[in-house]
Amino acid sequence: MFKIIVDSFRSGIVTERRPFDAHAPFGFPVIDFTRCTMCGECASACPTGAIHIENRGGTQATLSLSYASCIQCRECVDACPERAVTGGSAVEIAAYSREQLTQSALFDVDASTGRCAFRQMELQPGAGLEASAARFRERIRGRLGRSLHVRQVDAGSCNGCELEIAATSNPLFDLERFGIHFVASPRHADVLLVTGPVTRNMEIALQRTYEATPDPRVVVAVGACGCSGGLFGEGTYAAVGAVDRVLSVDVYVPGCPPRPQAILNGLLVAMGLREARVRPDGT
Amino acid sequence: MSVVTTIAAACAPIPLDIREEHPGEVTLEARAADLPELADAVVNKLGGRLLSLFATDERDTRGRFAVHQVWSLAKLETFLRLVAGVDPAQPSFPSVAAKHPAANWFEREVMDYFGLVPVNHPNPEPVALHDDWPDGTWALRKDFDEHADVPRIGGDGRHPFRPVTGEGVFQVPVGPVHAGIIEPGHFRFGVAGEPVLYLQLRLFYVHKGTEKRFERLPWRHTLFLAESISGDTAVGHALAYSHAVERLARIEVPARAQSLRVLFLELERLYNHIADIGALATDVAFTVPASRAQTQREGLVRLYERLFGTRLLRSTIAFGGVKRDLTPEGRDHLRTHLRSLEQEFDSLITLLIDSGSFTDRVDTTGVLTNQAARDLGIVGMAARASGIDADLRRDHPHDAYTGLQFDIPVEDGGDVRARLMVRAREVEQSFRIAHQIVDRLPESPLRAAMPEALPPDAAALGWAEAWRGPCVHWVATDGRGRLARVKVTDPSFLNWPGLAQAVPGNIIPDFPVINKSFNLSYSGNDR
Repeated sequence: MFKIIVDSFRSGIVTERRPFDAHAPFGFPVIDFTRCTMCGECASACPTGAIHIENRGGTQATLSLSYASCIQCRECVDACPERAVTGGSAVEIAAYSREQLTQSALFDVDASTGRCAFRQMELQPGAGLEASAARFRERIRGRLGRSLHVRQVDAGSCNGCELEIAATSNPLFDLERFGIHFVASPRHADVLLVTGPVTRNMEIALQRTYEATPDPRVVVAVGACGCSGGLFGEGTYAAVGAVDRVLSVDVYVPGCPPRPQAILNGLLVAMGLREARVRPDGT
Repeated sequence: MSVVTTIAAACAPIPLDIREEHPGEVTLEARAADLPELADAVVNKLGGRLLSLFATDERDTRGRFAVHQVWSLAKLETFLRLVAGVDPAQPSFPSVAAKHPAANWFEREVMDYFGLVPVNHPNPEPVALHDDWPDGTWALRKDFDEHADVPRIGGDGRHPFRPVTGEGVFQVPVGPVHAGIIEPGHFRFGVAGEPVLYLQLRLFYVHKGTEKRFERLPWRHTLFLAESISGDTAVGHALAYSHAVERLARIEVPARAQSLRVLFLELERLYNHIADIGALATDVAFTVPASRAQTQREGLVRLYERLFGTRLLRSTIAFGGVKRDLTPEGRDHLRTHLRSLEQEFDSLITLLIDSGSFTDRVDTTGVLTNQAARDLGIVGMAARASGIDADLRRDHPHDAYTGLQFDIPVEDGGDVRARLMVRAREVEQSFRIAHQIVDRLPESPLRAAMPEALPPDAAALGWAEAWRGPCVHWVATDGRGRLARVKVTDPSFLNWPGLAQAVPGNIIPDFPVINKSFNLSYSGNDR
């Protein structure tokens, strides 16, 4: 006993003073659309269809990237012959809607040569975040600002997200210092932290868990599968898909799996203490 | 005597068609009626252990279904795949589960997803399909659309739990949503006061249609699906799957990649074993070692991120090799980190087993006897804790394991303590393997080129001994080289019945620590 106490003093405090703003070797891909020639290599390399090309009547086309479905596999970075896709370093990405995680660029298509030239951005990632943040704060009316009780629901995950959610309570991240606690019952919870894809066999259990949670109940969808269905798709015989197909989702935390900092950030967004950001290049 | 003639001699006089399909993989075609007799011969004469059992729908090419049994024949260093055709007009096959209980869930899963009935199965109830699935939802048949709309039927109570009766005897239902941050599943405890009389499991809550999904995605994208079978075994499943695809396409993996694959698999074993040892301490409320283990685990995954850009080792394995290299500088980091971790881990284990209040909770708790483990066909770490000396890394070596020095720790107790000690000693062996790899990393390209398309009408088995146990994949292509069937077997599928056997006789408060000592995957089981 005495030895344990002495050892514990010797190991000191391992908790990081500020776990945020970590720069990962690879967060999410960032596309430099001005260098993009729309060759489509990234889209066909992408296993989840997060990168998508749409033809608009032959003279124009769009290329879109959705961080909601990105599994951070880096295939697009390796596939791009123009080196227009690079790895962003920011990991604390969160948004209030799936659309805010999407960006889309418009290209002109030369009818004779088929060459594509970047014209303009159609949809910027994170568009309308401030307005959404204000609406969200209005909804929770400061009631969740000091402490947050979280019920985690695995509605179909591969367990990858659960490993990283569990890591948020290890001594280095120590999320309890932010007043965040994981609780055993939805009846004690302010927030449902839900991973997906929601399976057919978990859909009813998820709905019942939601019904058992007192108002104002906040739903945070975690992971590529929870945000979009990910690799498992949506509307299959076994997988309903993203959490927002079953519940109204307040905060999206993408990633496969999201790093613990990203999950922690998402929970602080759910408390109204932070505003969601979508800036994978770290600006 | 060649492997093929040895097997043929053991199976005589049953008529069969036998060939060595790939190195270390013998395929044996037989009549379905002979399956029980063949299974007996394989177990009794060849020491076979069942690692997988599944069906295929070959109606459009050969006018039949087929049932496949995959056996590990460790003494011959070969796998044996028994194949038997099933007539679609009479969709049934003889069960082997009564004599070989490892086949129990497998055969019921074949019934659930293919509609082939195992005849003489001791408990022919659905295992994978929940009560609200309509009859005839045979999702893995070829004519079943992946996006089919399957209506929910009000089927509550169609497959009731076994009743418990008696004075003071009642049931405790737990799940599917659990109290901790863990995966969903339903446990039904029959209890008399605190002691558990028996435990029933209902799983498959996280069935995502993964095997069907393999058949729909372009094959080049499917490795990511393999990484998402069980998030804590990304390397294990990615390796088993890419082994199958590489054997099918007859691709040789370069030497450096073979070494790095071993390194990734051992690094995955390290972070999982250390996290689970900490979780055992958490479950008996011994917080100091729990915090230390969590800190060690976090230190490891941060090292992985620094070296390979990924915390949980995703996107490390490629078809034909690996995607991430270890730089000379990374080699030094790894060496230094592992050296200091070795000491920290050693003092963690000493702290645990020197504490009487800890050993009091884990000694003789959750015993899975050697006999039960043998009968149920338990695999991997849990089997080795019950005195079964089996490990694919030695019995069917893959990648660079042939040239490495390591021991296979085996314990006889079968209790939580034994599973803890097997893990602790495996961690030491992983350190030993990692140092050998780092010291002798051969120079070669990181990956071999894969063909544009996979060979048509081919099939192959792939395997890897991941931290929980053997991950076994079987992959077959159709006439155009597309994936026709991918069968995924996670060790958890074979080991869940072992948990149900280990819990009765213990008290409910000991369930979490018994459960964690196995730490079986729900997602890997349900897919």
